[in-house]
Amino acid sequence: MATRGVEDRGPGGWPGELDAMLGAITDYAIITLDPSGTVTRWSRGAEAMTGFLATEVLGQPVSILYADEDRKNGLVEQGLRGARDFGRFQLEGWQVKKGGERYWANMTLSPIRDDHNALTGFVAVAQDVTERKKVERLFQDLFETAPDATVIVGPDGRIARVNRQAEELFGYRRDELVGQEVEILVPQRFRQSHPALRGGFLAAPRARPMGIGLELYAMRRDGSEVPVEISLSPLETNEGVLVSAAIRDVTERHRQLEQLRRQRDEILELSTPVIQVWDKVLALPIIGTLDSDRASRLTESLLEKISEQQAEVVILDISGVPTIDTLVAQHLLKTVQAATLMGATSIMSGVRPETAQAMVHLGIDMGQLRSRNTLRDALQLALRVVRERSELADRATRSIEVEELR
Amino acid sequence: MSEGVPARDDVCPIMRIGDTLLVALQGELDDATVVRIEDRLTKEVARTHATGTLIDVSGLSVVDSFIARVIARVVGMVRLLGSEAVVVGIQPAIAITLVELGVPMGHLDTALDAEQGMALLRRLRVDGNRAR
Repeated sequence: MATRGVEDRGPGGWPGELDAMLGAITDYAIITLDPSGTVTRWSRGAEAMTGFLATEVLGQPVSILYADEDRKNGLVEQGLRGARDFGRFQLEGWQVKKGGERYWANMTLSPIRDDHNALTGFVAVAQDVTERKKVERLFQDLFETAPDATVIVGPDGRIARVNRQAEELFGYRRDELVGQEVEILVPQRFRQSHPALRGGFLAAPRARPMGIGLELYAMRRDGSEVPVEISLSPLETNEGVLVSAAIRDVTERHRQLEQLRRQRDEILELSTPVIQVWDKVLALPIIGTLDSDRASRLTESLLEKISEQQAEVVILDISGVPTIDTLVAQHLLKTVQAATLMGATSIMSGVRPETAQAMVHLGIDMGQLRSRNTLRDALQLALRVVRERSELADRATRSIEVEELR
Repeated sequence: MSEGVPARDDVCPIMRIGDTLLVALQGELDDATVVRIEDRLTKEVARTHATGTLIDVSGLSVVDSFIARVIARVVGMVRLLGSEAVVVGIQPAIAITLVELGVPMGHLDTALDAEQGMALLRRLRVDGNRAR
């Protein structure tokens, strides 16, 4: 850039002192125009921003800064007319540098009038806001392509922006949501408490999931509800703290969880079958490893069955259990004790020689529990126990009758 | 067999069926109620010379370690008076609770319901305590 001396008029067309002052402002282009739009003064900021030197521009129409399409569309004249008629005119758009490179400019046009209120020209103050525009564009793209429906809510609780996914999720058009209270998306039964919760978030705004541990529902335009997961994050802006709510439809996950739970129940049910093998005799073949979850499940179904079938003897068959360790033995003993409390005698079966050795080596004490090698032997014992019980009871009844007859 | 209702009380009905007494523990038991039940039951066993006592716990709303001790105590008293005692009506959930609490109930004679309890009492009378 050429060096400048201090002259009466600087190269930009201003008196020296003013030129120095305006020259110090490099972030803004400060330009004056005559009433027809011809450049009359050109600040150093304008040189820096556009790449045009003052000497190249003075006397040229301001339209050289405009993009071709804008020039054709009469934006230049429109701007000048706007400034003349309304006193101030702001425009944003692409402008062109000396080399043809484009930048996004924010320009304010103000009219200059003489003592008789006659228009003598315009002042244009312009700023290159390409960076801001890029950030905005990036934000806009991210916002629109985010996988989640996103709703941005202002400090007043009204919806400021929504993205396409939100339109799809809720069934509203964008313009139907913007400006509405966010509670329009909250099911009726939660609406009353929602504003207070909203206030709670604004009191300590930080990114967090909403309603931890709760099942959240959102309401669609047609009144139907959809299970959702919501992440909240604050957005600091010059309009105050905005809240961005990313809303994910979890209907599918709910369905899958439900299905998983059902399958797990079914598997547990299948893995703890209680079979009635004889009158008053139940058999419980235990297959696989016995963890505490399964053990309590197994105990429950056994006790229910005892009560249902009026069972007196229970055979616990462990031939399908790979190893009996201390923990498994404890589970078995608890099952036996619970069955005893309900009046049923337990017999263990399916103890293999190596299991018997291991149990004794581990010091596992099964108490008074009777045990047999095979299910067949166990069933025989069970039938004998049932028979003895009823014979004893019969004999007792007879002896009472005899006593009463005497 | 003669049947009768020798004593009735809002907390603890005691019924006599032949030479068997049936006592139903009900609702929530506190210390004072337990003492009254013990007093009435022991007197009733002695008065009727009952050879068997069925203690029905199916009407208890809660069974914890306190209640478990109460049951064991009542059984001990009844046995000292020469009557066999059988606890009936332990529900599945309560059986599991008692086992989980680790309350020692192994020395008790238990049966599913009053009918099986009567059968067990008959066996106990014939066979002493070794019928189970």
